[in-house]
Amino acid sequence: MSKTLLAVVVAASLAVSAQASAAVYADFPITVKNYAGDKTHSESFVGQMARHALHNSLKKLVSKGASLEQTSAYFSAKDKGRVIINPASKEGFAVLQSQVDDLSSGKNLSGKAYRGLITGMPGNLTGAELLQLMLEKAAETENGFDPLTGYDYTQLISKFAMGAVFYNQAVDSYLDEKLAADVKPNNKAYKDGAAYTGKEHVWDEAFGYFGAPAHTLELTAAEVYAIAKQKPEGFAKADYNGDGKVSLVTEMAYAHAYYAASFDKGGKTQYLHTIVQAFMDGRNLITSANGEALTDNQRSQLMGYATIIKTQWQRLIAEAVFKYAGSVYGDLEKLETIIEANGDAVKAYRSYVKHWGELKGFALALEAGGVNLGETGVKLNRLLGYSPVLLGNTQVVALVDGEFVQSSSISLSEYRVHMIKVQKLMLDSFAVEARNKDVTANLAQLVEALGDALSAEND
Amino acid sequence: MNLEWVSEFASLWLSQVIDLVSQGNKRVFVGYLLSALALACVWLKWQRNLTIVAALKYLLSPKLWWSKSSRADYQILLLNQAIMLLLRPLMLSKLVLATGLFYALNDVLVRPLWPTALSASSVALLFTFTLFVVDDASRYYLHRLMHRWPLLWAFHRVHHTAQTLTPLTVLRTHPVEGLLFGVRSALVQGVLIGVFVFLFADKVSLVAILGANVFTAVFNLLGANLRHSHVSICYGQTLEFWLISPAQHQLHHSRDRLHWDCNYGAFLALWDRMGSTLLTASSQQQLSYGLPHQEPKEQTLSTLYWQPFVTSWQSIRHFISRFLNTHRLSIRANSETHDVN
Repeated sequence: MSKTLLAVVVAASLAVSAQASAAVYADFPITVKNYAGDKTHSESFVGQMARHALHNSLKKLVSKGASLEQTSAYFSAKDKGRVIINPASKEGFAVLQSQVDDLSSGKNLSGKAYRGLITGMPGNLTGAELLQLMLEKAAETENGFDPLTGYDYTQLISKFAMGAVFYNQAVDSYLDEKLAADVKPNNKAYKDGAAYTGKEHVWDEAFGYFGAPAHTLELTAAEVYAIAKQKPEGFAKADYNGDGKVSLVTEMAYAHAYYAASFDKGGKTQYLHTIVQAFMDGRNLITSANGEALTDNQRSQLMGYATIIKTQWQRLIAEAVFKYAGSVYGDLEKLETIIEANGDAVKAYRSYVKHWGELKGFALALEAGGVNLGETGVKLNRLLGYSPVLLGNTQVVALVDGEFVQSSSISLSEYRVHMIKVQKLMLDSFAVEARNKDVTANLAQLVEALGDALSAEND
Repeated sequence: MNLEWVSEFASLWLSQVIDLVSQGNKRVFVGYLLSALALACVWLKWQRNLTIVAALKYLLSPKLWWSKSSRADYQILLLNQAIMLLLRPLMLSKLVLATGLFYALNDVLVRPLWPTALSASSVALLFTFTLFVVDDASRYYLHRLMHRWPLLWAFHRVHHTAQTLTPLTVLRTHPVEGLLFGVRSALVQGVLIGVFVFLFADKVSLVAILGANVFTAVFNLLGANLRHSHVSICYGQTLEFWLISPAQHQLHHSRDRLHWDCNYGAFLALWDRMGSTLLTASSQQQLSYGLPHQEPKEQTLSTLYWQPFVTSWQSIRHFISRFLNTHRLSIRANSETHDVN
């Protein structure tokens, strides 16, 4: 009995020592039976990181007024030789890889974009078709901004692509149907010759799409934020292996992980660490199966981790909707005041359109999670409309022959009230907690300032 | 048995008690008590030619501060803070009210544009002043109701059984009354916050000193605590038509039937003028406080807390039986009329 116990303890300590650190998503041992290759660890998410680099680069290109040919190279093409436009090395923040092929070759965004219907924009388009349309329209504008429709394509494409590709792939595929017992089982290699099992790689791919550095659990939210922003103070935190360069595979922060960090650094939420911890726990669970098929109990535990990730991920996108609804509210206030005073509204209008693009992009992203949002989705779409309310009180109402068509709509004041309702909807439907740019924040501050009324003072 | 909650409750209670004297938005904040003491010394020197020492001896006399009535004040004060902690979950939430109203206003109205033209400082001043005035008006009306409705008077009379007045008498309040004051305050503040944020968005703020509404704080610094004292500071007839002086509130506490039902106001005399309940005071007035025919047991904690429930129940029963009697009489009168016909 005592010998068995000793063997278990020794085996357990060996398993632990095989990993560099329990807090880093790295150096997971190879558990595939009869693996004959030369890899020394099993985790792999280079394809996802290549797509993050494609997305970051695409956003940069749209904002610089690139042609459709140029943007397509990063959206739908799989050509070799594509340069990583962002994140690129800059002073105080050296980046290891400079070409998409250095991460993974033959990758694009369109092939992984949501194939379901997106109802928040006109035209009955799928997620992939909508992104394609936006890229085509963006190429016809100056630096991705169309003042006539109120579309800031840089923001719309970026925020929606994060949802339609990364969020959708992770929560609607890898953490959903691919966790089924008979799909990509754990007792077989993901593909012939691979160093990872089916379930190991499924889990790794979902982790990759979230966009967090592998050593996130050793960092604060503010540090991950600084890494994503490529701030010099973020460099030392990013360069985990100390080679003087930031690896875009394991050391960089992207997409929703960056947004999670941006909310969490306010101190009210823990999206980043909750999600990454659930990914760690799930991966350790799969690794502990040691190349055997997962038992029902193990799979149900894994589904539990997946549910944490999916819920938190959806909520953090709802936080972004909440935040940008607050930004649009503020923009509309400024805009109304300027118009009332017959002032120059160009700058205020540009800011309004930019924030609306972010708001709408995240709202559309919520649709790409493979979950029926029901009444919440309907309300959100109706409150936002297909475009911001424009200065002549018009709004895009349809897509006819590839052109956005406008019609008269509500006033800017009424639309501003819609933003309050959007925030309330996010609060009621997703229980958001960071509540950045909360239009009701002043209510709570005033209540706090007035203090407690229960001291039983007489007159 | 886990007694952790006992120590947690005790520490919450202690911090509530400390808050009473350490927070500027409480009437008996130590700063206001000291300013009242200084003001009283100056008044006694001027009116009665007392030296500072003599004035302090008079003001801090154990006859006042350790009377049976004052000792009851302290017991009520301490016990109430514990009771209020327990009642807190029942309290109307200002934030829920303000937020609900804010959403409701946005639902039914479109915010006008003119408020955006006002500067943040003028909005803050407008909010602070409105809050002070509306809060003061609501105090007046609730206080008036407390005196005029037998059901409420049963609870408010606890405050009026004080026979010696010290600034701490302001906290001699039955918990039921304390709850009503809390609801009143939450209602006023919640509604005003909701309306002001709807109109002026993030420009709304409170102009405060010592953490309290600037107007309330100024009144408190100017000796509002002397309203519960034996120092009859009066402002002169003209000013007393606008502001309630300490001496005017002392009239409100007078045992003399001639002074009953006067001066319900807290800070402004306007409401008493509108309600024909204003009485001006004299610095020479000699008053005795409390209620006529008051029994000694009315300074014991059990009577002070329990008796109001008995009295209010009696008043409810009285009301019901009077209602039924009237109803029966009218039925009988009707049937007799029918019989005659």
